[in-house]
Amino acid sequence: MTFTERSAPSQTGSLAFELDLPHPPAKVWRALTDPALVGEWLLPATGLTLEPGTAFTLQAPPQPGWDGTVQCRLVAIDAERTFGMTWRVGDLDTVVTFTLAATPSGTRLSIVQSGFTPDQKRNFGGARYGWRLMGGRLTDLLAKLP
Amino acid sequence: MRSEDRIFQALADPSRRAIFESLTRGEAGVTDLTARFDISQPAVSQHLAALKRAGLVDRRREGRRVFYRVEPAGMKPLFDWITHYRAFWTERAGRLRSLLNRMDG
Repeated sequence: MTFTERSAPSQTGSLAFELDLPHPPAKVWRALTDPALVGEWLLPATGLTLEPGTAFTLQAPPQPGWDGTVQCRLVAIDAERTFGMTWRVGDLDTVVTFTLAATPSGTRLSIVQSGFTPDQKRNFGGARYGWRLMGGRLTDLLAKLP
Repeated sequence: MRSEDRIFQALADPSRRAIFESLTRGEAGVTDLTARFDISQPAVSQHLAALKRAGLVDRRREGRRVFYRVEPAGMKPLFDWITHYRAFWTERAGRLRSLLNRMDG
């Protein structure tokens, strides 16, 4: 199996990964959508069904200032191909999308988390600008920090 | 207000973005910045104060003059988000692989 990060430098507001898995898409799909199995690799899920629009939660260990709950909503579903959900933690309002493609050796799974910007319209320009800078010279400056 | 919100709010204003961008090229005084932009000196000072509150710039005094420069650590809260989730998904990918190996068919 390979695990490759695919985040383009220009898209610092999103993270993208690709995994080549030696298992058929139907099996990978089960691991991504069966609540009991999701709890084994991602986070324990409550209320997850495959009904479009369904709201559910994922439970991470509580941390100071956060009870550990990730608020999700199923926003895209295409059996054995696409599973998209909103991923909200406080002001962090992102979308996580799993995409499956059959390959000769099994399945290529792509995981994309996009929209690392607060859900505040008036700040949108600032957020985009901030992320663009993050991909540029400020990243170099940050690398030099102790 | 969270630090990310202060950063995004400070950068939401195009004039402040222009001033900040200008400072990424090097330290500058209020007078220098006023000369570079079509904005009054009090307005430039206000923009600089907002950038400083957001932690994006720092300043030093030299006699009667004040110089501003970019504070590189200012963008760190944004950087931390991405770093956190990069580690999260990398670990989860490993767990998914071992789960698939344990599953039937």
